[in-house]
Amino acid sequence: MEEKIYRNSLNFVPVDVAKGIDRSTGKRVNADDIDPNYERMPKCMHCKNFTLNEEKIGLGICSMMGKEHLAYPDMAAITCEGYDEK
Amino acid sequence: MAKSFKEMLAESGQELEFQSGGKAPDKLTPREIIWEAHPRIEKLKEIYMDSLSSTNNEFPYWYTREYFQHDNEIPVIRRAKALKTAFSHLTPLIYPGELMTMRKGSFFRASFPMPWLSEGFYMANESSFYQEALKRGSASVDEHSEFGQGGGNVPKSFGKVMSIAGKFGMRQEEIPVLLELAKKWEGKSVDDLGNKYERMVPDYDVKEAIMRSVVCMFDSGFTLPQGREVANYYYPLEYGFEGIKKIAREKKSEVAGKADGDGMVGMNRLYNYEAVIIAIEGVQKWINNYAEHATWLAAREKDATQKKEYQDIAERLFWIEKNQPRTFIEAFQMIETIHLAILNEDAISGLSAGRIGQVLYPWFEQDIEAGRITEDEVLELLEQDRLIKTSIDCFASVGVVGGVLSGNTFNTLSVGGVNKHGKTAVNKLEYLIVKAGGTNAMPQSNIALHYDETLPDDFLALAADVIKTGCGYPAFMNNDIAEQFMINHYGHEGMTIEEARSWAIGGCLETSPSCWKPLHLNGKEYFIPGGAGQPTSVGVHFIAMPKVLELVLFNGVDKRSGIKVFEPHNKKLETFAELFEQFKAYWEKAVDVLALTNNIQHDVWRKNNMAVFQSLTKPDCLDSGHLINELGYRYNATFNVESAGNVTCINTLAALKKLVYDDKKYTFEEMQDAIENNFGFKTAHEIGKFSLMDQEKKDDATKKYDKMHFECLNAPKYGNDDFYADEILLDWENWFCEHSETIESLYAEPMYSCQISVSTHGAMGSATLATFDGRLQGTTFADASLSAYPGTDKNGPFALMNSAAIWDHSMSQNSQLNIKVHPSAIKGPEGSKKLIELVRGYMRKGGFHVQFNIVDSKVLKDAQANPQNYRDLMVRVAGFTQYWVEIGKQVQDELIARTEYESV
Repeated sequence: MEEKIYRNSLNFVPVDVAKGIDRSTGKRVNADDIDPNYERMPKCMHCKNFTLNEEKIGLGICSMMGKEHLAYPDMAAITCEGYDEK
Repeated sequence: MAKSFKEMLAESGQELEFQSGGKAPDKLTPREIIWEAHPRIEKLKEIYMDSLSSTNNEFPYWYTREYFQHDNEIPVIRRAKALKTAFSHLTPLIYPGELMTMRKGSFFRASFPMPWLSEGFYMANESSFYQEALKRGSASVDEHSEFGQGGGNVPKSFGKVMSIAGKFGMRQEEIPVLLELAKKWEGKSVDDLGNKYERMVPDYDVKEAIMRSVVCMFDSGFTLPQGREVANYYYPLEYGFEGIKKIAREKKSEVAGKADGDGMVGMNRLYNYEAVIIAIEGVQKWINNYAEHATWLAAREKDATQKKEYQDIAERLFWIEKNQPRTFIEAFQMIETIHLAILNEDAISGLSAGRIGQVLYPWFEQDIEAGRITEDEVLELLEQDRLIKTSIDCFASVGVVGGVLSGNTFNTLSVGGVNKHGKTAVNKLEYLIVKAGGTNAMPQSNIALHYDETLPDDFLALAADVIKTGCGYPAFMNNDIAEQFMINHYGHEGMTIEEARSWAIGGCLETSPSCWKPLHLNGKEYFIPGGAGQPTSVGVHFIAMPKVLELVLFNGVDKRSGIKVFEPHNKKLETFAELFEQFKAYWEKAVDVLALTNNIQHDVWRKNNMAVFQSLTKPDCLDSGHLINELGYRYNATFNVESAGNVTCINTLAALKKLVYDDKKYTFEEMQDAIENNFGFKTAHEIGKFSLMDQEKKDDATKKYDKMHFECLNAPKYGNDDFYADEILLDWENWFCEHSETIESLYAEPMYSCQISVSTHGAMGSATLATFDGRLQGTTFADASLSAYPGTDKNGPFALMNSAAIWDHSMSQNSQLNIKVHPSAIKGPEGSKKLIELVRGYMRKGGFHVQFNIVDSKVLKDAQANPQNYRDLMVRVAGFTQYWVEIGKQVQDELIARTEYESV
């Protein structure tokens, strides 16, 4: 299930690994709190080219352009040319 | 009740926290001058102050993915392609309110691992990392509030954040891929490959023993292989990135298939130019991604002012992605971008921006004249530059980041000095740079003021005011001495007097070769300085002089660990001369084996991990077609031999000479016994405390060593204008500087001596037994290379300076003298004059560097007890300024204990 938390949201300006700024309100927020103005941020986990590895937690495969590469679900894909949202 | 070291000192007539030249006021004395930054900067600074050093895998992921798709490609092309892909995929991050943008990664204080350099230090914890990452899933981020102390460091894991190397935070979600990426580089990293081949050096076992017993602090080739050098922004500023690509394309056509008389690497020029184009494309895409992000932000922004600022950022970035900058702010943005790009290419600390007051002056002059910008707006940008530079972190092991660097990344600025024609180089922009150092006092950029007799008085007065804010800078460096060093050392590579004048400080205190280049803007020509040399502070890293001496006293064995480091000398050491000769012999052995092994590490680095982007910025790579690894830089004799613990060692030699050899008060065996027994004190390891203040006598002490300890403490000490001790320093420096020049780097160039301590005096002191000057086991050495040991400089600052200047500082890349002065001693304009006269006096004696901590020791003590009240307190340690809360207790204690001058 999609975690609608700040660190997965385009409404979030990360400051560090634990916290950031809510773009809508300008307030400091924890990265893992629920974002009331959640906007899905492109990440590998939302991409059609990504397959989660069921055996190794936190890893998966990217099959962009016919080749298979190691990948991980949490990686930001804003700049990825092959991102194809599910 | 057992006595403390402090009490013992007092009984012997010595004093930690000695007050020289008067008595400090009873009341806590605040800083005399307090300035503020522009509101916009203060707001951004608030974010910085609350941010943690953070890291993720974005850059290493894309680098690794691309790199391993190009098996058997020409190494420089493979490297450039990996860099291009990594730069192209960095997620842009722009904060509201910033005028200049771009950062290393997607956090305020971002950095990332480079497993192609070294993966071992975090792979060693693979299993525990992984398990902890899994089990910590349910913990709460509320634990974060525990980390108020220590500034932005992440010393331990919390919530879903894992601590790496005691400093960096990484999300638990990233740990599995961190480890998978690292595994791909096992056996292939510079660290692993380097080790494979350095083992072939005869006496490799001596190197291992040296490292294990902490005679040397760390390796060179895979830790921070570049840095301690001056960046050069000239080519992008003159030609723009499209212009450089055009030059490279033309050059490719000229050199394709031609050796041009160089059968070894002549053909490589083709691949190198192609690599330059590829690397630039990556950086251009990175800039473009930020420009697109700014456009996206502008489109959704409701506040009109902020919207306009996003639009302006986008326009500037779209322009500098391709072209020569048109305005001051575009030029400033461009040099920030280049700086960060160089830092992302390799693990680097000490990439100095250099003399940006002269680099940016063409745009400053023309924009001011045309009314396109005001001086106040320039000041605001300079304040933001300090925030950008202070936010730069470097991901490396705990030993490197904590033990050596104290988290500092040394993006030093230089001001002052002279121009191409030997006249003062100070301009209006440099006044604003110095002013910004006071209005936005942050650790970076350190300001190095090149002292020259031609500097305007009001410029020096402004520098004194900034020092009075308590920020620990500007530091003063002697321009004449530096020029002499340049000519002495780089003359054989073509350094002229004119070119020597372009030098600047790289890193904290590394005198670095530079050059002038003609910049053209709107039909006017300006000569701007920029770095033209390879990294410095590479080669043989910090060798602890007191530790080498200890090994002499104990016949080559490290008593602490039991390791045999050197072959036994089996000499009776019946004279001081014989002792000193053996000290030099062990030193030579250490330097020899460390030079050979580190040459191999750097050679592995240059074969697969060469700088492509930084090379294209440094003269004369674009002209010659050779990058850093093929001697493309103008100056290549930059490798060095670094010493640590200089003054502690000199004091120890002086005490041995006096008490064992001259006066014959104690036998050699009695001296050994006292050192082994730590003068009757518990060991620092035993009590778990390593600071000077905390050392305790053994409960059952028989007072057996007390008399000897008193006499050791009262033996002649460096820093008092006492020739007995100072002559030993003179002899050592004359030998050390000359010997260093006999060592050859992998580039077949002579090395030189480098005399900075950074933070090694704390870490290396902890691995060293008691020394015969009275210092106890495990405690810090004296700071820097010429600072007095705390409490031992009894005769005032001029006596200290006389001692320091007894040798010719132009023989060495640097020397380092730090002095602590109470704010009341330099109060008001008259006080400022005294401070400048003190500097002038030292420079005229031939001293190279002096810098001041203007602080009441009571403030430091209060800050140690109540760090939560002192998040922004800064202090000067060795050659850098750092937040008090981000440095270790040993070094804090040394600073508190250091002599405080109550008058100058």
